[in-house]
Amino acid sequence: MSLSLWLGLLAAALGTYLIRLLPLWWMQRRLKRRDPQSRVDAMPEWLAVLGPMMIAAVLGVSLVPKTADASGWLATLFGLVATWLVWRRTRSLGLPVAAGVAIFGVAIVMIGALFPPG
Amino acid sequence: MREPIRMSDPTHRREPPAGQLSGWRTGVREALPLLGGYIPVAISFGLVSLQAGFDTLETLAISTLIYAGASQFLFVGMAASGAPLWLAVAMTLLINLRHVVYAPNLAPWLPRSRWWPWLMHGLTDQIFALAHVRLPQLPERQRVGWFFGAALLAWLAWIGGTLLGAVAGERMTAAWPLLGEIMPFALPALFLVLVAPRFTSRRWSLALAVAILAALVCTLSGFTNGGIPLAAALGALCFFLIRLPPRDGRQP
Repeated sequence: MSLSLWLGLLAAALGTYLIRLLPLWWMQRRLKRRDPQSRVDAMPEWLAVLGPMMIAAVLGVSLVPKTADASGWLATLFGLVATWLVWRRTRSLGLPVAAGVAIFGVAIVMIGALFPPG
Repeated sequence: MREPIRMSDPTHRREPPAGQLSGWRTGVREALPLLGGYIPVAISFGLVSLQAGFDTLETLAISTLIYAGASQFLFVGMAASGAPLWLAVAMTLLINLRHVVYAPNLAPWLPRSRWWPWLMHGLTDQIFALAHVRLPQLPERQRVGWFFGAALLAWLAWIGGTLLGAVAGERMTAAWPLLGEIMPFALPALFLVLVAPRFTSRRWSLALAVAILAALVCTLSGFTNGGIPLAAALGALCFFLIRLPPRDGRQP
């Protein structure tokens, strides 16, 4: 890798880091001016709504299966339903994810066996 | 009356009480599901980077320093195709611009510590999603440790996966083709668990559904990274513009 490419890599890395860091400083300065008891209220309402929406958007992006054919989508549906049901029952983080991956995997294998491609 | 915006949610109450484990151990444990998504993608990146002409050390440097999945693929792709370097850097930063809203959303729950500026390197999409739900539920004394454990595990997994991909990516994908297809489902499953407690009213449900569907449509149209902030903005717009009456007929 040439020196210029190394410099480009460092610029991209530094820029990405600052994108993550500078907004923290901005918000921390804003919070400092507030009463410690009302730190959450110091957050602008639009920002408080945008947080969960970003998570929802990342969920939407990640829903597209690696193989986006009918079997991939069907397996995704099974996996999501399993995740949701286990979450409803346990309200935990790890178990629903494990169950979702397991059911997704079983669905991929079974659909592949029942309807082989070609 | 304006509907209160719930910033924390007690719905993960059946998790073991945070006090039973130290903060960083809890963070490591709760970030484990992320590895199912991180490692296969990191292996792919290691493989793609070597195929683009970078050596193992350079590939590891990219994953260690930039540490932002999609933009890394773009960076090596543009560099390999001979695109102007400034354009490759600009596009990398443009893709990562969505991260600007992450730290301010977490700031109210970050206790004073000189570690936070260093820890911000680990603030990826997935760590943000996890921290946004978990930090408000943890005792203040455990939050730095929790974030350290979760972010460090994810970072090391990303670097380790990249190394695996660079060294043995071709052999691995040939030997276990299904693994690379199944394990990434850990990410949508985790995000579903993180977003599920937010479906607290018709107003939130509609806005979240709009964000999810918009992001899905953007991804299917090949507009993945720009699609995340766009879909989130659409969801937020929906939240502020559309007021649905609650199911019991009372005014919202």
